[in-house]
Amino acid sequence: MTERLRTGGITTHAARLGAWHGDGRPLVVFVHGLLTDSLASYYFTLGPAFATAGMDVLMYDLRGHGRTDRPATGYRLEDFVDDLAALLDALGETRPAHVVGNSFGGTVATAFSAWHPARVATVTMIEAEPPVAVWTGHMAEGLADAKTRLARAEAFGWISANYGAHTARLSTVAHRIFESTTLAEDVPASRVIADDLGALTRPLLALFGDESGLAEQVPDLAAKVARCRTVVLPDQGHSVLVERPQETRDLILAWVHEHTLAEAAP
Amino acid sequence: MTTDLSTDPAAVLADIAGMLRTVGADLGLDDVEITRATTFHDDLELESIDLVVLSGALRSHYGERVNFAEFVGALELDEIIALTVGRLVDHVVASLAAAA
Repeated sequence: MTERLRTGGITTHAARLGAWHGDGRPLVVFVHGLLTDSLASYYFTLGPAFATAGMDVLMYDLRGHGRTDRPATGYRLEDFVDDLAALLDALGETRPAHVVGNSFGGTVATAFSAWHPARVATVTMIEAEPPVAVWTGHMAEGLADAKTRLARAEAFGWISANYGAHTARLSTVAHRIFESTTLAEDVPASRVIADDLGALTRPLLALFGDESGLAEQVPDLAAKVARCRTVVLPDQGHSVLVERPQETRDLILAWVHEHTLAEAAP
Repeated sequence: MTTDLSTDPAAVLADIAGMLRTVGADLGLDDVEITRATTFHDDLELESIDLVVLSGALRSHYGERVNFAEFVGALELDEIIALTVGRLVDHVVASLAAAA
């Protein structure tokens, strides 16, 4: 089922799978990435498998994306974190959640665990960075570049010719978000956590593709985060969720099961 | 759901066309003719999030018997892009027949 819920100043579009009887079943929340993404990325991939495995699954469209409201301003990381807290409140949810995020969604998940640790059982980042100062620099660069390239109208014809109509369509969606919101300026101005990652107290699973560059964080994460597991998939770029759905699903399912059993143990 | 649902392909096509008009109301789909050959991506210009909403509408109408998320989840990206209304109609008809 999909539903629209009031979350702070906006209405959030969400989809839930599973029994939702609140009887001690694990709660898994999936957070998607920026611009060309929506809850559909999970709805048709990982979501059904987690529901079949006996978990309650919550997927939602981030502000500005999919069928959630698109306010003109308010796109700092802390706004996205507040939205997630408000969404769980709107559902009357008090279980600590296993929060899974892809790309920017992984940063939202990690920030949520840093600022609301009691609401989080575990965190999974798929091809993402924790919200530290260097991340804001990467986002500033990437967003400015994408905004400039998409602003050239001829780019759509070029994208269509070189990557196909589907990618051109997605680019149109991204362009619309840039044109109607302050997202490109807001994300790099986000609140961050200290570089020592001491704020990350919840167990962290971090998945990477070895060709994306983000896997370079592995030694740092392993050294700084107490309960951290990192997995690097070989011959894989940034699109881990889309291109390696089975491995991603199995790794996260095993991780959630493991931590659910650990919590249930006396 | 206890309602008697038709497994006649023409009736299912009419039902799905009705759902698509609801899902696509704000996308200007009111005047678009929907046939078996209509594609979700190129003809209706639906985005993947619209398919999620359609999935909710299918579930409300057909209940547990039709699992659209599972159906789409088993398709490759290029198959999803090429997906026609007719292929969904066939899936619904087969699912209803299997559950009958």
